[in-house]
Amino acid sequence: MSELDLDLAIAGLAAVTLGTRSFFLAFGARLALPSQVQSSLRYAPVCALIALIVPQVLETGGVLQLSIANPRLWGAAVAAAVMFKRGDMLASMSAGMAVFLLLRWLA
Amino acid sequence: MRSCAAHDVSSLHKLLGQRGERALFGPPGELARQRRDAFVEGLQAVAPALIGTGAWALVTGVATVKMGLTLPHALAMSATVYAGSAQLAALPLIVAGAPVWLILATALIVNLRFTVFSAGLYPYLGHLSLRRRLLLGYLNTDMAYLLAMRKWSGVPAASSTSTARTWYFLGMSAGNWLVWQLLSALGILLADRVPQGWGLEFAGVLALITVVLPSIAEEASLVGAIVAAGVAVAADALPLKLSVLAAVVAGVAAASATEAARRPAGSGA
Repeated sequence: MSELDLDLAIAGLAAVTLGTRSFFLAFGARLALPSQVQSSLRYAPVCALIALIVPQVLETGGVLQLSIANPRLWGAAVAAAVMFKRGDMLASMSAGMAVFLLLRWLA
Repeated sequence: MRSCAAHDVSSLHKLLGQRGERALFGPPGELARQRRDAFVEGLQAVAPALIGTGAWALVTGVATVKMGLTLPHALAMSATVYAGSAQLAALPLIVAGAPVWLILATALIVNLRFTVFSAGLYPYLGHLSLRRRLLLGYLNTDMAYLLAMRKWSGVPAASSTSTARTWYFLGMSAGNWLVWQLLSALGILLADRVPQGWGLEFAGVLALITVVLPSIAEEASLVGAIVAAGVAVAADALPLKLSVLAAVVAGVAAASATEAARRPAGSGA
């Protein structure tokens, strides 16, 4: 890819990202959504993050790994349990990471 | 809790100085005080989640260089695009020399979830000037939207002042932006020294888990999360991370259907 194309691509990426992120903020007055839809959008970020998280926990290298030999699965489960019980982000991440590294080392 | 907030206000004051505060919040007075308090509240809300932001930024920065971008291009991309998932999706295409339109189309589709978020923000921030709405749009990330909805949803927009909402969003986003940019630059600069296999990506995943769990507080969001997880795994083979968009649409539909079913009969629409 030429230098110019690369500069163009990066500028384009910035513009596309700004456009998608502010679309309804910018045009919302003209494109009013039904209030029912509007209020249900509060569930959107949870769904988006879950959709980013779960495949990364279950899969390694594009293959679905539900087995107990998947250190990511156990690390995530422990982190979730600690977060649920204690509500402490740092403790949750440390516990999950410790379990993940230990199992990977044992494997 | 109150004294802690007061402490944070005074440390922000020390950090910015008289001039800095004036530049950021305007001339001293009631309005500047409201802005500053909301800004500090936003900073406090995002603070615990910043470990996660930092881990992702580091991973993204390292990956950007490992995939073959030069230092200046990597830094420029991180500063202007400010979107980890879109950058990671675009990089392999850039390296392979794909046409620019294809790279942009890919980023567009990966970013569509933010368009959904922007519709969710409109009732709260839509009255601002276009310039401000675009600034807030640039700052509209997974983290900022999640935290904004946790604070605002279920409460009518009219119950908080516009100043409080805008500056809360700005405070949250400023913390998130700063940590992202610093750690992303660090990842770019140290890319050759960060070995694979530290499990840094997994630290990022764990951080997202700790961020999202407190938002799964009642039945509707739990149902939405389960449906979104199922759809994301089932649709994982789709190109361009379309699985995320599919999961958002299905999860939101399931959550609102659950909410409607649980609403006591006769309570109206």
